[in-house]
Amino acid sequence: MEKIEVLRIESLSRAPLVVEGYLFKGTNPKAPKVAIVGAMEGESILPLYCASTMVDFFKNKIDKKQIKGDVLIIPSINHYALNIGKRFWPLDNTDINMMFPGYELGETTQRIAKKVFDAISGYDFGIILERRPDPATCLPYIKLYKSGYEDLVGAKKFGFKMIHHRTMKSIDTVTLQYNWQLWGTKAFSIMCPSDNQVDKKIASQINQAMIRFMDKTKIINYHIFNGYESTVIDRNFIDVVKSPRSGIFISKELAGNYVSKDQVIGEIVHSLEGDVIHQFLAPCNGMITCFYSNSLIYEHAVAFRIAKIG
Amino acid sequence: MNTTEIFTSELPVGEKLSIKRTRFEPKEKVNNKIKRISIVSGIHGDELEGQLVIYLLANWLNNNSDKLKGIVDIYPAVNSLGVDTITRGFPLYDVDLNRTFPGSANEFLPGQVVHALANDVKGSDIAIDIHSSNIFLREIPQIRINKEYSKSTLPLAKELNCDFIWIHDAVTVLESTFSHTMNSMGTKTLVVEMGVGMRLTKAYGHQLLIGILNLMQKEGMIEGKDDFVIREAFNSEIGEVFYLNAPKSGLFVPALDHCAIIKKDEKIGDIVDPLTGTIHATLIAPNDGILFTLREYPVVYEGSLIARIFGDNSGKN
Repeated sequence: MEKIEVLRIESLSRAPLVVEGYLFKGTNPKAPKVAIVGAMEGESILPLYCASTMVDFFKNKIDKKQIKGDVLIIPSINHYALNIGKRFWPLDNTDINMMFPGYELGETTQRIAKKVFDAISGYDFGIILERRPDPATCLPYIKLYKSGYEDLVGAKKFGFKMIHHRTMKSIDTVTLQYNWQLWGTKAFSIMCPSDNQVDKKIASQINQAMIRFMDKTKIINYHIFNGYESTVIDRNFIDVVKSPRSGIFISKELAGNYVSKDQVIGEIVHSLEGDVIHQFLAPCNGMITCFYSNSLIYEHAVAFRIAKIG
Repeated sequence: MNTTEIFTSELPVGEKLSIKRTRFEPKEKVNNKIKRISIVSGIHGDELEGQLVIYLLANWLNNNSDKLKGIVDIYPAVNSLGVDTITRGFPLYDVDLNRTFPGSANEFLPGQVVHALANDVKGSDIAIDIHSSNIFLREIPQIRINKEYSKSTLPLAKELNCDFIWIHDAVTVLESTFSHTMNSMGTKTLVVEMGVGMRLTKAYGHQLLIGILNLMQKEGMIEGKDDFVIREAFNSEIGEVFYLNAPKSGLFVPALDHCAIIKKDEKIGDIVDPLTGTIHATLIAPNDGILFTLREYPVVYEGSLIARIFGDNSGKN
């Protein structure tokens, strides 16, 4: 294993930000290579944990002969935000994942993005561990933009239950996934719940999926159980359940649970008087893909997203 | 004058989020083709300069209601929760509303908010979106125009009594802004940047008020002719914008005042280290010109924007 300094930035009063990558050289120079990017935001505990446990996997749990292609893991880019509980770059609140491909003469987060992008360019595959942008607990899944450069067949090799094949918005043109794809890397985003704590079960699903993907693409030789035959969905498959009232939100179901039409799936309790003021009924037969993760909910907020079945 | 709520959301504990619009209409409607202008501010909750401009405009309209010939809609605080809590993005979601347009009724809550705004402004002949830079930079009153729409918006920008008109290339990511969304929906929309976040610059507020009144008069929305004297803005097409970013992290100490006319090689400021009493870097003007953007917040990282200078790219001012 080789530690690579990806970038270093000095600060007025804090210790320098030093971002490092862990490079595990493969035994076969012709084998495909993969780079894994962990926490780009501060409130990305699961991406950080999953990436760091992958470092542990390659460092301590796999025979070096089984590593065929190069594997680069950058567990965190935004230590400064992680260390003080901020989500974005602490000084100006900019999102590093909106700065790609970066610019060496630009603003601080553009420079960070540029140095990261330089370090991860040229890999055959790229995996981005992303936190959902909204407050939502979800199943881990692959998010893939309909960019024209995406590899939907490759996405299925992770074996997640679901692949969200999403229409691009203009704002997505500055994300790492899109720019990585544009420059020839088959990039995939693994979407993690926005909960700010480690869920070992979900973390294990994510890490197994990454190992499965690397085995199937012959980056490593490490057989594990097969995953799901992934279902590809887009917005048309999803029913959005908005909250008609505000108050204390309690979900009665978990992400991944199957629900029947008109089944009670959650409720809202009046925050000052304690009575149940609304019950959420499933609008269709389906699987809950995500639900609102804060206990206090605004009126009109999206409470559930349900993938329709049947 | 009539105030309505264009979007509401009950908050979890005994409070309501409300985004309000006040409409001023002529006392007597002369015809059906009455023009409408929408003035928007507070899309970023930490930008308050637009609040003053809109107050001054509303106050003027209250005192001159007999002169009004068009409809004026004002939206002082789009991110109303953010304005009252010194929060730039939409609270809880931490989302920049000006990267969320056009939104939709089925999106997450910030997407619903911008969708409601765009739908309400839709149909206006003109819209002006007032921003205050951010807390880091101080800006002279300027109009930002996307080249894609400059043919229709540049003539309007010239009437707004600003100092600078910056015509920039079309950038895909900016399609998620209010101005792009409204321009694509047929409303001629201008973005004003002036002053600094979290503060008011009274002189700029009065300057833009004169510009808005002048534009309204030129568009036949206010009775009278040439009542307002405006300045001629310099235009980015006749020169070049030079950027100065911090080469080192530290504390920026400016050597010049904002808006100064400067010469090539003149000192703009130092980046210093208080702990050791040393100067990390001295920033020098790369060109003659006007210092139209200057760092206001002194803590800088490598790359932080320090200044923008507009000058002749031949090296002459």
